[in-house]
Amino acid sequence: MFWSLVRKDLLLELRTKEITISMLAFGLATILIYALAFSVSPAMYRSFAPGLFWVIILFASALGLHRMFVLEKEFDAFSLSISAPVDRGIIFLAKWISGTILLIISEIVIIPPFVVFMGLSLPNNWLIMIMIIIIGNLGIMAIGSLVSGLAMRAKMSEILLPILLFPLVSPLLIGSVKATNGWFQGIPFMNWQFWVLLMITFVVVFALLGYTIFDHITEE
Amino acid sequence: MQRFFSYKINFLSGAVVLVAMVWNIYNIFTNTPMVPDQHWAQKIFYIHVPVAWTGFLSYFIVMLAGILYLINKEQKWDRLGLAAAEIGTLFVTLVLITGPIWAKPIWGTWWTWEPRLTTTLILFLIYVGYFMLRSFGGHPERTSRYAAVLGIIAFIDVPIIFYSVRFWEEQFQSHPQVEITQQIPDIVIPFLVSLIIFTMLFSFMLRFRMHVLKIIDPRNRL
Repeated sequence: MFWSLVRKDLLLELRTKEITISMLAFGLATILIYALAFSVSPAMYRSFAPGLFWVIILFASALGLHRMFVLEKEFDAFSLSISAPVDRGIIFLAKWISGTILLIISEIVIIPPFVVFMGLSLPNNWLIMIMIIIIGNLGIMAIGSLVSGLAMRAKMSEILLPILLFPLVSPLLIGSVKATNGWFQGIPFMNWQFWVLLMITFVVVFALLGYTIFDHITEE
Repeated sequence: MQRFFSYKINFLSGAVVLVAMVWNIYNIFTNTPMVPDQHWAQKIFYIHVPVAWTGFLSYFIVMLAGILYLINKEQKWDRLGLAAAEIGTLFVTLVLITGPIWAKPIWGTWWTWEPRLTTTLILFLIYVGYFMLRSFGGHPERTSRYAAVLGIIAFIDVPIIFYSVRFWEEQFQSHPQVEITQQIPDIVIPFLVSLIIFTMLFSFMLRFRMHVLKIIDPRNRL
């Protein structure tokens, strides 16, 4: 059941490409704005890059999450999927994983222009950065899926979602930026492993919480 | 439904809290010693810390009420959650006001990203979202449920926020006040008394607000 729900979200996206394209276009537009607004020395870009990167990801994911849950609201699709005899926790897990996959796909296309336009030179050990990005995305989507579930049916959900999401996600954002910065500046992993642990804690806590509490969000 | 103050016990506890609070403020200004390098600024500590404590206590109550509401769906837990959230946000706002008032003369700046102040600000913003969710939610039963869920999420996030902010900017690790247990009794005793009086004020406000929420709830107007 879990995989068919994930497959449904991905297939829907594969056919329309709405979410990834809008996240990509939004990401590129933000990079352009950054480049124009902060026309400073490359050294400044270097120190700001990790923060700027995660701000783009956070904004893009708020956009993507909203779109994902608007799709569920159309034709009352969500009521149909929760009327299926399936544990609602599984619905949450499926939303979480498919959201993360969509976010990663968008990032694959956002990162190259980000690096080029900001004129960054990257360290070689990519594996660590990929790990940071995956954990960060899992965290954003765990709390994001929960909050979107809450905001989905409210009035002004498009503004309510970021208002709820940004303060709740702030510890993860701090952790991601610190970890990315550690990698980017070539600081030994030992010195910033705390942040990775913090991110993992965040992911585990909110994935478990989402799994247990999503019942009450979807109840009719 | 009867008026809140027509119950003798409410009237009495209200009077006690009022007298105690007036005395408390008088006591803080007259009977506590001056700390040499902080002078008058230190007095706000007797207000700031109890207010912060009550703020966090009420957010803890929001979480408890949320759990109880989700378990048995009784209206009173929803009212408790909402009342505690409102009062908590009021107190947290006071923390965000009194903190900078203390920081200006001591640190020379209104705002610093000090861990506890930052955690409080983040919590305050989460609760701004909480009230928006309450008012935009639509269907009342669903809104209560969603608010309960958000109250739980918010409180679980608190320790993670605190630890992340604490190690975020290393220069703010120096704590503004020494540990309370290391203070002299002349400071500790009025502080603890103030803490108790603020907690009494909080419990009184909570009961008052719950009573009002029960009266204005359209579901109770039959």
